[in-house]
Amino acid sequence: MGEDSEWVTPGEVLGKASKFKAGRGAYVSPDNLTVYASLTGLRRIISPPPDSPDQRPTIEVTGHKAHGAIPEPGSIVIARVTKVMARMASADIMCLGTKSVREKFTGIIRLQDVRATEIDKVDMHMSFHPGDIVRAVVLSLGDARAYYLSTAKNELGVISAQSAAGATMVPISWTEMQCPLTGQIEHRKVAKVGG
Amino acid sequence: MAGKGGATPSTYSPSPTTQKTKSLSFGNDEVLRPDDREWHQCRPAFFQIGVVAAAAGSAYADFGSTKVIVSVFGPRESKKAMMYSDIGRLNCNVSYTNFATPVRGQAYDLGSDHKEFSSMLHKALEGATILETFPKTTVDVFALVLESGGSDLPVVISCASLALADAGIMMYDLVTSVSVSCLGKNLVLDPTLEEESYQDGSLILTCMPSRDEVTQLTITGEWSTPKINEGMKICTDACSKFSQIMKSCLKGLDSALEEEDSNVD
Repeated sequence: MGEDSEWVTPGEVLGKASKFKAGRGAYVSPDNLTVYASLTGLRRIISPPPDSPDQRPTIEVTGHKAHGAIPEPGSIVIARVTKVMARMASADIMCLGTKSVREKFTGIIRLQDVRATEIDKVDMHMSFHPGDIVRAVVLSLGDARAYYLSTAKNELGVISAQSAAGATMVPISWTEMQCPLTGQIEHRKVAKVGG
Repeated sequence: MAGKGGATPSTYSPSPTTQKTKSLSFGNDEVLRPDDREWHQCRPAFFQIGVVAAAAGSAYADFGSTKVIVSVFGPRESKKAMMYSDIGRLNCNVSYTNFATPVRGQAYDLGSDHKEFSSMLHKALEGATILETFPKTTVDVFALVLESGGSDLPVVISCASLALADAGIMMYDLVTSVSVSCLGKNLVLDPTLEEESYQDGSLILTCMPSRDEVTQLTITGEWSTPKINEGMKICTDACSKFSQIMKSCLKGLDSALEEEDSNVD
């Protein structure tokens, strides 16, 4: 491990591109086919899987703090609904996968992305309320303002919501949640949580 | 302290250059610079990272009496008014404290941001940052000149690249920057505020030392081609030396971090 655990800084030469592939925290310069580090951290060499056609080991730089996570298409996020409009709901992304974000990111769930079936019959106000915690997938980087989120899957949707009385509601069906204090039933796009 | 303040010893005077008795004399090779340096000698450089707890990354640099602090925030959501962009953005801002100069509040427009330096810092850094790794988001770089002692911009640029590296922003290389002043027939490396005020011309070179690439070159004043060549040679030399100091600073933190981590566990 002695040679494998060396601290490197951005710009440091890690090896020749003919001998190594660049992994995380490294890049290949097309000018001189050299692998450089792009982060500060520990240099690690990972052997290729035995059956891969490319037998160059991957070299990567890890260990030092990386910058805060940013949403990218396909990542599962936990977001808090801030505003519900007729055609879309906006939400603040709070977690990316299992990690909380350091900076706030805004996402929007459009009417057509709320659920997978009967998308022409969706009512935004029957799906989300401000303050709901939803699990969603990032569809795309969206426009200049927000990321586009989607809840069109069984396991996506509202995972936690408070009733008008202020109690955390219990899901009773795919579209309904009930308040344990008053028994009142509210409509939501409920996510399937757990098994 | 220095005891030279005279009438107001209790007041902090950031730069004693105004009271310097030794003055510059031109065309005389035997006379050294006010701080007894050689013509091609830099001031002692000191770097430290992780100095601002609230920032994602930060660095402090201290070249003689020039002291700057740079904090990096983000990547975070771009401002609503910005156009959509597939790559990330750098937002740079250089400001001066109002006690940065010998005369209080003399620094440009009093504490507010320095537009020219901000755009030059942006240009120096954007070529070295891998902006594709944080699409649609913005990285904010805030530089604050605590004390202006000459060569402010080069110090800010080097310090900012260190802060970016500390924040974990992907970069092609560290960015180092040095300036030379043309004083008569001499080229003066890393000029102080006093020397800058006498200069006939200045050259600021910003480069990525291990890539041998220049990200910015600014030349002002009167220069001849051989002088420019000489100046650039001196600068690239000094830049590669600074990069060694910056690298060891980054590595120094890493060993400290390791200790911290093991303590937490």
